[in-house]
Amino acid sequence: MAEAHSLENPRLQHHFRNADQQFSSSKLGMWLFLFTEIMFFGGLFVAYIVYRAWNPELFTMAASQLDTVLGAVNTVVLIGSSLTIALAIRAAQTDKQKQIVNYLLMTILLAGVFLVIKYFEYMHKFDLGIFPGAFYTFEGIDHPKANVFFSIYYMMTGLHGLHVVIGIGLMIWLVVRAKMGDYSSKWYTPVEMTGLYWHLVDIIWIFLFPLMYLIE
Amino acid sequence: MSAATTNGKTLKVRYFDIEENPTEHYLNAESGLKSWLFTVDHKRIGLMYLASIAFFFFVGGVLALVLRTELFTPAENLMTAETYNRIFTVHGAVMVFLFIIPSIPAALGNFLLPMMLGAKDVAFPRLNLASFWIYSIGALFTLVSLGVNPVDTGWTFYTPYSVQTGSAVILMTIGVFIMGFSSILTGMNFIVTIHKMRAPGMTWGRMPLFLWAMYATSIIQVLATPVLAITLALLIMERTLGIGIFDPALGGDPVLYQHFFWFYSHPAVYIMIVPAFGVISELIATFSRKTIFGYWAIAMSSLAIAFIGSLVWGHHMFVSGQSELSTVIFSFLTFFVGIPTGIKIFNWLATMHKGSIDMKTPMLYACIFLFLFTIGGVTGIMLGAISVNVQLHDTYYVVAHFHYVMMGGTVMAFLGGLHYWWPKMTGKMYSEFWGRISAIIIFIGFNLTFLPQFIMGSQGMPRRYYSYIEQFQTMHQLSTIGSYILGVGFVIIAVYLAHSLMKGQKAPANPWGARTLDWMTSSPPAQHNFNYQPVCNNGAYDFHKPIADFTLGIAEDEHAHEQKGDTIKQQEQNV
Amino acid sequence: MSGHHIIPMKTLISTSLALVVLTIVTVAVFYLPIPAPFDVVVALLLASFKATLVGMFFMGLYYDEKFNTVVLMFSFLFFIVFIGITLLDTLFRDSGISVW
Ligand code: HEM
Ligand SMILES: [Cu+2]
Repeated sequence: MAEAHSLENPRLQHHFRNADQQFSSSKLGMWLFLFTEIMFFGGLFVAYIVYRAWNPELFTMAASQLDTVLGAVNTVVLIGSSLTIALAIRAAQTDKQKQIVNYLLMTILLAGVFLVIKYFEYMHKFDLGIFPGAFYTFEGIDHPKANVFFSIYYMMTGLHGLHVVIGIGLMIWLVVRAKMGDYSSKWYTPVEMTGLYWHLVDIIWIFLFPLMYLIE
Repeated sequence: MSAATTNGKTLKVRYFDIEENPTEHYLNAESGLKSWLFTVDHKRIGLMYLASIAFFFFVGGVLALVLRTELFTPAENLMTAETYNRIFTVHGAVMVFLFIIPSIPAALGNFLLPMMLGAKDVAFPRLNLASFWIYSIGALFTLVSLGVNPVDTGWTFYTPYSVQTGSAVILMTIGVFIMGFSSILTGMNFIVTIHKMRAPGMTWGRMPLFLWAMYATSIIQVLATPVLAITLALLIMERTLGIGIFDPALGGDPVLYQHFFWFYSHPAVYIMIVPAFGVISELIATFSRKTIFGYWAIAMSSLAIAFIGSLVWGHHMFVSGQSELSTVIFSFLTFFVGIPTGIKIFNWLATMHKGSIDMKTPMLYACIFLFLFTIGGVTGIMLGAISVNVQLHDTYYVVAHFHYVMMGGTVMAFLGGLHYWWPKMTGKMYSEFWGRISAIIIFIGFNLTFLPQFIMGSQGMPRRYYSYIEQFQTMHQLSTIGSYILGVGFVIIAVYLAHSLMKGQKAPANPWGARTLDWMTSSPPAQHNFNYQPVCNNGAYDFHKPIADFTLGIAEDEHAHEQKGDTIKQQEQNV
Repeated sequence: MSGHHIIPMKTLISTSLALVVLTIVTVAVFYLPIPAPFDVVVALLLASFKATLVGMFFMGLYYDEKFNTVVLMFSFLFFIVFIGITLLDTLFRDSGISVW
């Protein structure tokens, strides 16, 4: 498919021989980047597992402070946003310019919902005095390392939230360019790459949800 | 015109002539400062890295001489203990993060990788430029931290001290954090380039071994560096928010910090040495005029090192209080790293055996490498034995070990590579006479500096002290004198290379008679590396074939810019 | 070959439905009285299954060059190395060598 277009494709950079080589290079590059993301989050998961193995009772007690319903809703919200960005890619592949923009906007909206819910969760905890690290003042959990659990919680959800924010930024940029008609079945690499990134953000939440909210 | 068959597809090819002393090349294709700072040409980016690491090697080197001068006598010669702590920290951090990690991969690797593949550039040229800028920004943070309050924790930033100290740990670690991303981007770029940008006919088995080494290095960069990033991020959080993950005062575990740190930093020693292995493979094959012995053994041992090397980090933590179980397992696994490393050494020796060895400067460095690196590696195995390690940990024995591998290994290979590819990079020759003289001076200086440290260390001289008991004075003074000799060696190199740049003789396209594709273009190369699309029909070390056999390229009519030929495409889909 | 595959609408919709159902199952399982280590195991198995679905169909690994899947697998492998070996320390701090 792309082969037919490679001749007149203005997107083809001079050092690639054809559009296929260019596209599959980008994709491999993106997967390698996701590899680094997994190792990056991996460090936090290691901290989580080590401390949970040391203090299982702490994790059970502390998790009761997290709102399972909100966590579950957010999981579904992210799944929805994964679907919409996949649809945006599909729209690009099938040359439906308008739909690209619409699906991207829906994804941004869902990402926004996720952040708003997260915001209320954080605020509720701050009200109780559950701050990260040394600022922790909550007394409802009778365990000397309660602060450490919430440090890990804030680091993991915070880093994840940061990725959501970055994702929103990327998608706004995609919307702007999609409106200028930059993407079509001939060339939509940035949409595809942002999609991969966004799905990874979803996957990380898929693991965070049971590990943080569902501990008994 | 003739036909070559690659992967069952027929290409129209012919032999090309390589232009000698071209009037137009990548150095003069564009001019002005901007044409350098914003270039996406991998060769220019490589040279900018080369200039940066040369600068930081100079900075780190001067600091080293200052340290050695302080140690000339046990008294307080130049500085207080406090200052000494800062200086050895900065020396270590600069040498590791700013010099040695980017040295061979980012400088030589950037320059050579696309050329050896027969490609016009790396897969993502703009990312490549970004990676250079990210490195520069990280370096800037590091330099600012020196102005503010130089760090005194040691280059390892161990908690809890790194949380308590008043020095500018945050600025420094932000700098290292940022430079980590530069390293990651370079690694990603190289992996993709090797996978996707190989010239027609350049199968995996025809790649020069330098590329296999770069491939393994890039894997380590991509896999381990993110863990350093999260470690330093958590350390910064520990200092700002007191998150208590690593800080025992808040319920954290400092040994966990060491796991995080060494999960990166042991593989990082392979980021430093594996590219050096790659350089050595090229040097030894070229200057022995022989097909490399055990091509696949050398290629695969790089990957094996990348893999095994990520299982052994705890050998830095034998006396940290980690569990005895893990201590035993880490020690056991550590011995396995010696196997692929040994395989390489033996294959290099077998390559030299009965070769027609030409002791030019680069080869001299390769031989120095073999000698010094073997000492460094074997003492590493000794340190991997728990009982020996408990005795020698944190002594000068360890200092000597890692200088034999990092300086005796990586820096010697880097110098060898620098001399080997200098004519290609600059189009100029250097003085062979002074090249050999300085190599010999460096060899003598190096051993005089670091051999006494093995002895002192085994007698109990601890590392990271600004003073010592009298018993060690002779050894320390020998070591200090050795370091001055080393310094002289480097000054000579700087002088004759500068002279070569300005007044050097013009270099031929292939002064050493090498067979890899990086030599099948003019010196210096054309802006897009080759004036033809190379086709690879031979092994990288087929010295029994004439050089003219290696300049095969796609015949002109097929070489129009917009590729009509599905011929090449077929090939690359099998890549 | 190089991932220009257009993923069928039906696949995308049913994948997301499956993910929602699995999320509900995950929460439901949490309220079942499963004994200690197995509750985590079940939760992680469910999460891994969900992640696989996302990877295969949303991220298109199912249709893509296989090497991209290899890259992903390696990231999990190295994560497991990291946590596995670290646990050999943290779980056995006080037990001494006699655990053998
Ligand atoms: C045969 C391969 C090697 C083995 C078995 C080995 C083993 C070891 C061991 C056991 C230690 C810990 C000593 C201690 O602190 O008590 C150590 C330290 C060190 N090694 Fe190696 N090593 C090897 C190769 C290398 C290479 C190739 C490099 C660098 C290019 C390197 C750089 C270092 C550094 C920097 C340290 C000191 C870290 C510090 O505490 O600051 N090693 N090595
Ligand atoms: Cu090590």
